[in-house]
Amino acid sequence: MWAMNAIDEDDRLDTDEARQVIRRAARMAAPFKWTVTAAIGFSSVTTLGLLLGPVIVKYGIDSGIRQLDSGVIRNAVVMYVCVVAAAYLTSRQQYVFINRAGEGFLRLLRVRVFNHMQKQSLAFFDRNKSGVLVARMTADIESMAELVQWGLLQFVGAGLLVTFSFILLLVLSWQLTMVALLVFPVLVVAARKFQRDSNTAYLDVREQVGQNLSTLQEGISGVRVIQAYAREPEQVRRFETSNRGLYQSHVQSLRVSTWFFGLVEAAGVIASSLAIGIGGWLVNRGDVSIGTVIAVVLLLAQLFEPVQQLSQLYNTVQSSAASLSKLFGILDTTPDLLDGNQALPSTGVVAVAGLGFRYPGTESKILKDVSITVADGERLAFVGPTGSGKSTLAKLMARLYDPTSGTITFGGVDLRDATLASLRNRVVVVPQEGFLFGGTIAANVRVARAEATDTEVRMALAAVGSLDRFEQFEDGIYTEVRERGSRLSAGERQLVSLARAALVDPAVLVLDEATSNLDPGTEAVVEQALESLMSGRTTIVVAHRLSTIQRADRIAVIDAGQLVELGSHGELLDLNGRYTKLASAWASSQPSQSDHPQLRTDQTR
Amino acid sequence: MADAVPRIRAKSRWGLLTATLSEQRRNLVIGTLIGLAWMAGKIAVPRLLGLGIDRGIDGDDNVWMWAGFIACAGIIVGFFTAFRRFFAFREARWTETKLRERLFGQIMSLHVGYHDRAQTGQLMSRSSSDLQQIQQFVVMIPITASNLAMILTVTVILVITNPFLALVALAPLPFVNWAGRRFSHSIHPAVQAVQAEQADLTTVVEESIGGIRVVKGFGAEQVQADKLSKKADDIRRVSIEAARVRARFLPAIDLLPQIGLIAVLGVGGMQVIDGDLTLGQLVQFNFYVALLVAPLRMLGMAIAWGQRAAAAIERVNEVLDTAPLVSDAVDPQKLPAGQGLGSVSFGHLDFRYAPELPVLTGFDLELEAGQSIALVGGTGSGKSTVARLLIRFYDVDAGSIQIDGVDIRNLTLRELRQAVGIVFEDTLLFHDSVSANIAFAHPDADQAAVESAARLAGAHDFIMELPEAYATRLGERGYSLSGGQRQRIAIARAILADPRVLVLDDATSAVDPSKEHEIRSAMSTVMDGRTTIVIAHRPGTIALADRVALLDGGCVAAIGTHDELLATEQRYRDVLAAMDRPDDASVSAATSRGGGVD
Repeated sequence: MWAMNAIDEDDRLDTDEARQVIRRAARMAAPFKWTVTAAIGFSSVTTLGLLLGPVIVKYGIDSGIRQLDSGVIRNAVVMYVCVVAAAYLTSRQQYVFINRAGEGFLRLLRVRVFNHMQKQSLAFFDRNKSGVLVARMTADIESMAELVQWGLLQFVGAGLLVTFSFILLLVLSWQLTMVALLVFPVLVVAARKFQRDSNTAYLDVREQVGQNLSTLQEGISGVRVIQAYAREPEQVRRFETSNRGLYQSHVQSLRVSTWFFGLVEAAGVIASSLAIGIGGWLVNRGDVSIGTVIAVVLLLAQLFEPVQQLSQLYNTVQSSAASLSKLFGILDTTPDLLDGNQALPSTGVVAVAGLGFRYPGTESKILKDVSITVADGERLAFVGPTGSGKSTLAKLMARLYDPTSGTITFGGVDLRDATLASLRNRVVVVPQEGFLFGGTIAANVRVARAEATDTEVRMALAAVGSLDRFEQFEDGIYTEVRERGSRLSAGERQLVSLARAALVDPAVLVLDEATSNLDPGTEAVVEQALESLMSGRTTIVVAHRLSTIQRADRIAVIDAGQLVELGSHGELLDLNGRYTKLASAWASSQPSQSDHPQLRTDQTR
Repeated sequence: MADAVPRIRAKSRWGLLTATLSEQRRNLVIGTLIGLAWMAGKIAVPRLLGLGIDRGIDGDDNVWMWAGFIACAGIIVGFFTAFRRFFAFREARWTETKLRERLFGQIMSLHVGYHDRAQTGQLMSRSSSDLQQIQQFVVMIPITASNLAMILTVTVILVITNPFLALVALAPLPFVNWAGRRFSHSIHPAVQAVQAEQADLTTVVEESIGGIRVVKGFGAEQVQADKLSKKADDIRRVSIEAARVRARFLPAIDLLPQIGLIAVLGVGGMQVIDGDLTLGQLVQFNFYVALLVAPLRMLGMAIAWGQRAAAAIERVNEVLDTAPLVSDAVDPQKLPAGQGLGSVSFGHLDFRYAPELPVLTGFDLELEAGQSIALVGGTGSGKSTVARLLIRFYDVDAGSIQIDGVDIRNLTLRELRQAVGIVFEDTLLFHDSVSANIAFAHPDADQAAVESAARLAGAHDFIMELPEAYATRLGERGYSLSGGQRQRIAIARAILADPRVLVLDDATSAVDPSKEHEIRSAMSTVMDGRTTIVIAHRPGTIALADRVALLDGGCVAAIGTHDELLATEQRYRDVLAAMDRPDDASVSAATSRGGGVD
């Protein structure tokens, strides 16, 4: 389950894999099969129309010109006009239909991959870099757009053209069909070689482009360091090396493709020359008419272009298959946080028993045998050094992960047995930083409960004492927060984040306290909002500030994945153990004199 | 060719391109000549086909002779088709390559003030997508030249052979060109609309993944799913719009020439019956008309691409035309050489980033050689600016900075920046080996020098534990180190540079407090006997310096030892209290001298 298939970076699929991927994509595209069929139908008519031209020319020559019958020529012209008009109409439709199917497929893919990603637990997001996941949803899907827009059509069109051409050739003259059969296989063999070589060259170019871009980016973002150390000439040289590497791979890819273009061009003319030669001989023998020879020459002129087009398409198909295979990798990752079927009671004791945890794919346990019970309405603070596991413990208590061993219960129900919906209503995690989505303030609060009314949203904002502040904005609570909430200050973003929790009105609040400070004014407002949010609720806080710790009912000291001390601030100071050491270290890194009297008062209390 | 560089500064929008292309004149001429040979071959084929039919099949000539001629023409055409393409693309890639190098060189030499304003993404797209557009246009230059020649020649041949038939057959072809141009114009906004919608969807994806903790914490998956599904619908809608534009133009472009072919059949057919035209000539006409289709279509595209390339050239020019504001002195002086040097004097500096925002006003500070000083001040007090002015990231508005008595503006930038080493707050490491990163200042430094710098910075031990020790690759795409480890590599980098003045700009801020002492000891080793400016706000780090200067209101408000200032300056205590954030509990700070714990 923890296989790395979802982040497989390999762009080189072998033929079997590619075939499997394409088969699976075809199954997925089943809803569009009628649209695709229509597109192929339109494409067939268009192709046939193009190919009928030479046949009409043959008719005009043999029955009209040779028989000196101008009526036949007029007929031929009328037929030709009709065929071209029909081809024009169906050709327009083929674009519309193939795009409808293709874009529909891409839409389906976007929605499905995204929803499947969102179903994954946090462990999935820890494991896969966010940049990679974003790339799956964007670049990988977009890379298929080219194929959808014209590639598929060209693919279908070229295939039909070759098939129909051979049928028509056979109908016209089997002897002259041999001409095409003499040249065509040479071209097919050449095309296969071209595909192989150009795919290698193409991947090499892609790699070089990527490398050159990152050298470029590194140079730009590192310009201050480079200038500070006066290393500009070396960096320019370094860039030149990678840039020239890119140039060389472009030239290599040109070399690989160029001869093929020339060959296709030459093959077309040589086939015509053979048709003239053999055709002349056949005409002399009276086997075929001169109109047939001319029709064959005209058909041959169109026959070889599709080979070239199909070969060029090959790289696009290959890279699309590679993208698809990565996307299927995500779809194949089974979500590891499954929904239970019990509803949680409205209040209750949070009990952690014999809890052990290690992050998937890692060796060492981050938590070892932790047991702790949090009473209804109690305020518990977790303290400990970085990496002690205190944040992980808090996350487990909100079931952002499942424990490796042991249990966590709320009101006697194991969190794993609870429905996710009831769990998110009872236990709410407020993250360190106020993360906002694009949209209005109201929409951001509503993230917590999509069906909440405007009044409820306002009440939630009022509950954290920020309604008045936001009502003062020009658009009130319907103010757009812009990308990532850049319209709001850090403190205001925190307030919105707290209002979300207020909207849910949970029994248990899990807080991961911010390490960085806000400006003093907002700090006080946020502090107050937090205080009112916490009142009357069970609160579990991962604490970084002395003031927060001192306000907790009990403090749990976590070190190296274990609960080492538990009790009130006073009790723990009396123990003169781990907590006392932590507290004094704390004080020393905070030279603001005001903390010292506090510490002393507490000690003597 | 020597005057190519000044010509880039020309006002003309095409100046840059013509200057670059003039360096490739020879190959472009060769490319065009090849194009003409290609054209000759292409034009010969229909003529030979016509003759083959008339004299070989209909006449008494040996048909195989004509077939042979046609085959020869085919080989020639194939050969020159390949070469024409190869030359055009290779030259265009070379133009792109050269321009990119010129851009990169310019980016490297532009002053920091420029980079403060310019976004990395913008400079990236100047050097990638804009150059791509220029490249596409350059490809078209030799190709369009031979295409134009072919259109002209074929038209002349047709008109001479049979003016009336020529007129009828060629009549629809200008529309191919016209439709091609219209198509390029209409598809461009449609494609941009698709890109804009794709960007919107990317935003939704990024925020959903970036905010996955919020999404999961509140069970808001459905909210985001709805948003995404709406964006996916939008993409589909505008993509189908774009497909409609293609549907409107592409079939017309493909089929218009057929009208010419029909005309040839109708009008030409009658002429053959009347004996004014041979059958071979009719076929020849047919092929000539078909021959013109691709060049005409490309001509339409070339014009549209040319317009896009012009816009790209203008954007690239903007970067290349910017003159670096900080540059070498015209007649540079040298720093005095010898032992015990490194005094720094800041004499009455005024500096502002923007006219309305003075940062430093009348800033005075003297540092004796080998002395160290900590700069302490609130946010925006200008302490980091002092460091940036010292290495001339910016030039002062008034006053002067002197190192060992020489105004830094009279030194070459290279000499100045070799004399002053700086360890930045955010340590940028390059995608290169540990050794190369440490030896950044002197790439030819030997391994022993690298290791001793690493040892001094307290980095040797953890480096030895890396997968490939000193050969481990770091940076964005490389092995990721912790903040403290990166910082120690950065310090080693500064040690190896062996500057006479060292600046440590907030070098410990990114470091976990429990690891801070390790860096502090590295810092104190480096500072020993070297003129050092430390910018810091943690007491333990400040205490490493001999003296402390408190910055307030754009100048030095107080100066003394840490303990002196702590005892006498309320402002100093305020600044420390405001700046020092309560970090995760750690015992390390207890070792500091300044904490004052009982």
